[in-house]
Order: sequence, then structure tokens, then C-alpha cells
Amino acid sequence: MPRIHLGSWAENAVSWLQTHLSWLFDAINTVLTGMYDGVNAVLGGPEPLLMAGILAVVAWWLRGLLAAVLTFAGFALVDSFGLWEAAMATLSLVLVASLITLLVAVPLGIWAARSSKVSGALRPALDVMQTMPAFVYLIPGVMFFSIGPIPGLIATVVFSMPPGVRMTELGIRQVDGELVEAATAFGTTPRDTLTRVQLPLALPTIMAGVNQVIMLALSMVVIAGMAGAGGLGEAVYAAVTKVDIGGGVESGLAVVVLAIYLDRMTGALNQRVSPLGRRAAAKAASAARGLAVLRYRPGTAVAAVGVVVLALVAGGMNLARSGDGGHSVAAGADVGHGRGIKLGYFPWDEAVATTYLWQNILEDRGFKPDVKQLDPGPLYTALAQGQMDVQFDSWLPTTHKQYMDRYRDQLTDLGAWYGPTSLELSVPDYVKGVDSLEDLKGKSGQFGGKIVGIESSAGMMATLNDKVLKEYGLDGEYKVVSSSTSSMLADLDRAIKKQEPIVTTLWSPHWAYGKHKLKKLKDPKGAWGKGEEIHAVGKKDFGKDFPEVTAWLKDFKLSEQDLASLEVAIQDGGKGKEKDSARRWLDAHPGLADKLAPVGH
Amino acid sequence: MSSTREVYVSRLQAEHLYKVFGRRPEAAVERLESGADRDELRADGTTAAVIDASFEVEAGQIFVVMGLSGSGKSTLLRMLNGLLEPTAGRVLFDGQDLTALAPRDLRTVRSRKISMVFQHFALFPHRSVLENAAYGLEVQGVPRAERLERAAEALELAGLKGWETSWPDELSGGMQQRVGLARALATDADLLLMDESFSALDPLIRRDMQDQLLDLQTRLKKTIVFITHDLNEAMRLGDRIAVMRDGRIVQNGTAEDILVRPANDYVASFIQDVDRSRVLTAGSIMTSGAGAGAGAATVPAATPVAELFTPLARSTDPLTVTDAQGEPAGVITRDLLLTALGEEAEVPAQRTPQTAEAGKPAAAKAAAAKSPEAGDEPAEAATPARADEAEVSARA
Repeated sequence: MPRIHLGSWAENAVSWLQTHLSWLFDAINTVLTGMYDGVNAVLGGPEPLLMAGILAVVAWWLRGLLAAVLTFAGFALVDSFGLWEAAMATLSLVLVASLITLLVAVPLGIWAARSSKVSGALRPALDVMQTMPAFVYLIPGVMFFSIGPIPGLIATVVFSMPPGVRMTELGIRQVDGELVEAATAFGTTPRDTLTRVQLPLALPTIMAGVNQVIMLALSMVVIAGMAGAGGLGEAVYAAVTKVDIGGGVESGLAVVVLAIYLDRMTGALNQRVSPLGRRAAAKAASAARGLAVLRYRPGTAVAAVGVVVLALVAGGMNLARSGDGGHSVAAGADVGHGRGIKLGYFPWDEAVATTYLWQNILEDRGFKPDVKQLDPGPLYTALAQGQMDVQFDSWLPTTHKQYMDRYRDQLTDLGAWYGPTSLELSVPDYVKGVDSLEDLKGKSGQFGGKIVGIESSAGMMATLNDKVLKEYGLDGEYKVVSSSTSSMLADLDRAIKKQEPIVTTLWSPHWAYGKHKLKKLKDPKGAWGKGEEIHAVGKKDFGKDFPEVTAWLKDFKLSEQDLASLEVAIQDGGKGKEKDSARRWLDAHPGLADKLAPVGH
Repeated sequence: MSSTREVYVSRLQAEHLYKVFGRRPEAAVERLESGADRDELRADGTTAAVIDASFEVEAGQIFVVMGLSGSGKSTLLRMLNGLLEPTAGRVLFDGQDLTALAPRDLRTVRSRKISMVFQHFALFPHRSVLENAAYGLEVQGVPRAERLERAAEALELAGLKGWETSWPDELSGGMQQRVGLARALATDADLLLMDESFSALDPLIRRDMQDQLLDLQTRLKKTIVFITHDLNEAMRLGDRIAVMRDGRIVQNGTAEDILVRPANDYVASFIQDVDRSRVLTAGSIMTSGAGAGAGAATVPAATPVAELFTPLARSTDPLTVTDAQGEPAGVITRDLLLTALGEEAEVPAQRTPQTAEAGKPAAAKAAAAKSPEAGDEPAEAATPARADEAEVSARA
């Protein structure tokens, strides 16, 4: 079978689109960003508890008092987790994505219901949209639409489109043929038949589709969080990568609160908008027993008044509050003059540590740093596209070689700030007789034949598979299980608790060496390559756009001790407080800020 | 039932209608015209649903199309209002060729001149009874207040006063079909197409609805095309009846024509279940000539034969039959009455094989087991009719 180079064709197509249709993507980006920002400003603007009140009034209107109380409690819980902004960002993303999806899906579904050809052509396309792993189009999405909520939005739209189209088509097709015939027999035009007979009767099914669209959109948001969409997805992702079980549970619960709220509300919406739904609701209400208070639902007008009053109160409070100033910058230190600078990081500990450290320093120097968490692939792409300004965790020359090879001309290497590092396989110290990679040979039975790896996209995984295992003749004997750093660490933790043998991929510096007693397996053949250095890497024009910062970063150095104490400080500070933790650490090291970012005067 | 009628302007004509489903339908029509039959076409994957159907319906007439399922009667009906486009042939209504109309004009004709009543009622479940009845007027663009008023009138005509605000699923089948009828009547369309409209109803309700339709028809004088698979219903309602088989109209005539002069064995096999005494009229069995004595009883020519037994039993004198003007037109003797009903006795005995073919072996056996003597058979055939009669009189 000859190799069919579909992949490189796709790559060519993407780069062609990127060069020739960038104006289109920019336009789409502008429109979508506007929509998202608008919705997010509305949802995230008010005081959290007031907004929770507004959402509760909506629940009261649609479902009754009990639902309203639970809604308020659920959202208050989200607020107490400190996840309010993330939750509202996610809600905005879901709402905008669902709206766009429905604007496309419903007309497509109608078209498909009326033409078997369209239906036949759409079916495979919908299958692809539903089953293609989202990351496959998230990365081109980042290339087209830059880092931020939009690639996530597009991916969400793509992923949640199929049920919208399918349920609309099904709903219309399952309307009794005799009813359509009756409408036609009385001289109804095709369009009126659609609006007076087919759509009203298909509405319950279409609303079930709307519900599905929204739920799928929500499930996609976690993945979109990895491409910089922010919100709860980012919180979940960050918690998971840091093995922060508490944070994971909290952000996961916040997702659940949103999911249940959206599910129940769209389900109930059907009863309000469709005539059949209204009838069913009226029947159920007349049959229901129990407290009248619980059953009472305010009319649409009353609910609207409630929402408006709460919104006005919220607006008033925001006006009263807007007097507060922002962060104060010491006179003479204002180098940035309020310029924005976008710092990207993937959730590796040293990246988190340095990024938040520099966020504080840059803020003190009058910049407006914006911090965004991404996966390495999207982050390098974003830097190459100039959508991100700088990141601090480039392991060179080995680990991130593939990204540097690809984007070398579109990036600026700002030099190493830490080194040398080392990559290694490690075993717990109770595993006797294994001190070197050579000792692994013939002992695969002891380790279950597997080496616990990290993300398959990580550079060290490629090195391990392509070089290290071959060099030591281990490639037939061991299988590298790729998972994620967090799963690897969790697995290590589990094995150590049970005193089981385990081999994991690990690197130095890493806090795991401080937490567990581990042996780094020696590499007499030097297969891992020389130790690496950790570089800061900027976009192509970084030197031109930020000459002062470029100078600071070129001189930036951090000792292993300082890095370790910074990492510990940030870990101890807890999730969501990285910036404050870094600030405290910086305050505890007087003079460091001036050393790292000297102000020339 | 057969009475002379004035000639109205409004009437419906079907001319050589064909409907073929499948590939290259026009070619199939040519083959049918040159004598190919339905089975040959079916082998090629095309289905001839209606073949060369021609008929005329006079204004104010009820024209019944009768046939078993698959005979093409519903397809034929749907070509009359353009729900299905004929493969060949024309439909003329009021002299206007409906098959040549642009879609827009056809819709106008449908909304103003032609109404339809469906087998399974086809009421819109998301509209109240009143809104359902007003649907046709809504399509016509009649203002809301007026259309609701007219819909309420139509519902009253159909016997549903007081149910306006109900929902279709709260009504029984018979009442739902009354809504369907009211919806059709509300538009004041001249032509009413009824597609097995009473078939889904219980027998008692069905008879009720038939009576109501006949009653409405005496007042409204619509032109009605009624589809049914039930010959008794056809005989009861139809001024003329077309019997369809395998896509073709095999006989087109009055109820009496079909009963007395079946065009072929197929039609004959149908009519053996029919209660002849309720279909045949005094006028059709009388001998013309001078009336009997002045003291003899008289009956109108339209009187069903079933109602002649009592007067003839009371007196040995023949009955005098009068025509529409009340003038004596002929006489009926006891012998004549018995002979007229006796004719039927020979039918089952002769046609047993065809009957079996028509899927009624039980009835055929029962008939064959009976003595073929005259006088015995009518009683047998009348048995179901007597139940009907009892029911009718009980209601009256």
C-alpha cells in the first residue's frame, strides 16, 4: 500500500488558508470576540451573588421555587470556590457557541429534512464533526484565530453541531405526513407549512436537540480550556496537571453546577416555547399535588421585571465601585506605560513559577501583563503567529526541538535562565539492583513491562522512544505508556504507597525529588543527550516591541534553590492564587525585582 | 336516490388520468396505452397506481370511488386537487384545467374551491378545535375575528357546538372527524374530497356520520368525491359509484346499476354482501303500466324495497308507484317483489369460485351450504341489514 500523504496535504491546505484567507479569519475573529466579550461582560459584570439571583429568577420562571433555591445555592457554591469568573467565562462561551451552532444547525436540519440528497451529504460530514478528536482542529483553529476563546468556540461549535442538525431533521421528518398533506390540501405554501405545522410540531424534538447542543458545548469547554479558552476548562486542566485533587473536584463541581442548570433550563424552556409543551405542562400542573408555593411559577412579565431590577442594582453597584484605581506603579519605574504583554505558559511547575514571577515584576514596571495557560503545541504556534509575546519554559536543545525546528524563524530566543537540566528515568529507592538504564534489561517482568510516561506530545517522550530505549535495547521489552504528567505522578504516588516497583519518566528540576525518595537511573551511553537549558522564547518581533523586557530577560537567571522555593511557595499558596503567592515570594526577596528588571536611571 | 337533477355549472371532470410511480413514468404510460398490463410494468420496477381513469361528477352529486386497498383510489383522489401530479391526463374543475396551473394558482384553487377530509382526521394537535376549523380560512387570509366566527358556524353545522376551546386529543374519533368535516366546510369550497373519511370510525359512529353527511348535503349541495372500501357505505352515500380494481375503473354507475348489472365477476363478487332490499327501489322493480285500483296503497318511486313488505303484506292488491310529480308510474305485485329479491339467490351459487377468490371464502361457503331455493337466500342476505334497520329505527 503506497503512503497516501493526506496529512501533508492537510498541512498545505491549512498554510494556504492561513496566507490567503487571513482577512476572513480576522473578520470572523473580530465578530466572535465581540460577541463573546459582550456576553461575558454582561454575565461576569454584576456581583456574583446578584448574578446568581438573576439566574435563580430565570429558574423560578421556568421550573419553580425549588429550582430557584437550588440554582442560587449552586452558583453561590461556585462563587465560594473562587471560580466565579471562570464559571461565567465558560457560561458565556457555551451560550455564544450554542447560539451560533443553532443558527447554523436548525436551518441545515430543515434543509436536510426537505431534501434526501442534502441529508445524505450531511450525514458523513456530521459524523466527522462528531468523532474527529477535537485537538485535531483545535491547533489549526489556533493558527487561524489566534489564542483565546475563539478557537475553543469554533471547536465547540463544530463538536456540538451534529445533534442540532440531526434532531431538527428528525423532528421535522417525524411530523405526521397526513398533517403536512392536510396543510398542503388547504393551499398552504411550503414556507407556511414549515412555520405553521412542521416547526411547531417538531419543536419538542428540536428543543431536545438544543439541550444536547448545550450539553455537548459544555463538555467541549474543558478541552477548549487547553487551547487557551480559559474558564472552568482551564481550571480543571490546571488542577489535573498539578495533581491538585481538591482543585480538580471544585472546578469539576462548578462544571456540574453549570451543566445541571443549563440542562434543566433548556428542558423547561420547551414547555414555554412550544404549544405542545405548554399543553403537557398544563396537564401535569393540574394533576400535580403538593405545596402550591413550590408549584407557583411567576409569569413571563413578572420574571422579566425581577431580572431587570436585579440587573439595575448590579449596574448601580458597578458604577459606585468604579472609582477604585488599579495597581499603582512607583514613579520612575513606569517603563511599560500601560502596554499589554501576553505571557503564555503550559502548566509545568517552573513555567508557572517564572510566569507569575514575571507577571508581578512587569506589573511593577508599568506593563499590563496578561497571563494565559496553553498546551505546548498551541503555545508555540501562538508565539510563531505573534499572538503571544513570550513564554519562559523552552527546554532546549532537545525537549522542544521539534517546535523550535518548525518555528525557528518566527521566534526570538531570549536566552537561558536555568541550566543544566536533566531528563531521566527514575525508580523509587526501594527498587534494589536497578541503578542504571542498563540494569533495566531483562527486568521488564518486575515493572509489568511498562514505563510510565507523560504527555505523548512532550519532547522527552519522543527522545525516550526513538533513542534511549533503542540505545539500551529496551524497545522490545518495555512499552512506554503515554498519559499525562499528573497521571504519571499519581501513579508514582500510588506505587510508592504500596511499595511496588515502577519506572517513570522524570526530569530535574522537579519537586517530586523532594517529595519522594527516588533514584535517577544513570545514563552511561549519554542517550538522553546533554543536559538542557531552559530558555525564554519570544515572538519574532519581541525585541522590537519590548526592548527593555528583552534586555531584562537576556540577563535573567534563577538558581535551582530560588526556583525550588518559588515553586513551593506557589504550590503552598494554592490554586488561583499563583499571582499573590509569587508576589509574596518576591516581597520576601527584597532587591530581587530591581536585579531582574533594573530601571535605567 | 336516483333522481333527476338540474344541470349545474360547477362540475368535475377527470380525463384519462394516469399515475405511474418509478422511473420514466411517461414511457410506462405509453406502454399502458398500447396494451401492456400492470404486472409487466411492475417487473421493471415501476408501479402504475392509476390507469386511464375518466369520469365526471355533476354539481351537488356525491361520487363514490370504491375499491380495495391498493386499487389506486386514494392516488386518484390526490390527483384531483393536485397533491399528486398526474403522469398523464387532465382534471377539469369548473372548466379550469387544474393540471395546467402554476403552483401558486393551484394553491389558490385548493384554499378556496377544494377541501379535503382525511382518513385519520389529520387535525393539528397544537391547535384548539376552533383554530383547527379555522385553518383553511387562515390560509385564505381571512381576518381573525371573521374566521373564528365562520369556523364556529362550521363546527355548529358539524354538531360540535360547545367544543370550540377543546383540544383535538380530548375528543373521540367521531368528534375529531366532525372537526375535520367542519374544517373542510368552513372554507365554503364547492368540492369536497373525502378520503376514507369514516373508515377509521366504529360502525355505529360511521353510520351516524354518513347520516349527517347526507343531511348536510341536502342543505349545502356540495360536489363530493368520496373514497371508500366499504360497498355498503358506497351504496348508501353515492349518487354514482366507480368501482376500481388494480388502478382501473371497472364500473361506473348508480348503485342500482352496479347491483343489478355488475360489469364483471369482480364487481359481482362484491355485491353479494349488499342488502339488496335497501338499495333497490320501488321504481327500479315496478312494472310500468296502469295503476291498480284507486283504493290501493301508493309509494314514491324512491322507496327502498325493504319498506314494501309491510304494505304488500296488508293487502293482496298491488302497490301503486308514483313518480316525482306524484303521478302513478307503475305497479308492484307480491310476486314481482319476491322475484326481484330472488334474483340474488342465484348469484352466489353461480359465482362461488370468484367469491373465494375475492377473499371471502367463509361467506361463500355459508352461501353454498344453503339451499339455493329462492326465498331462502334473501333472508340470509338480509340478516346483517336487519340489525342495521333495528338500529336505525331505534334512533328514529
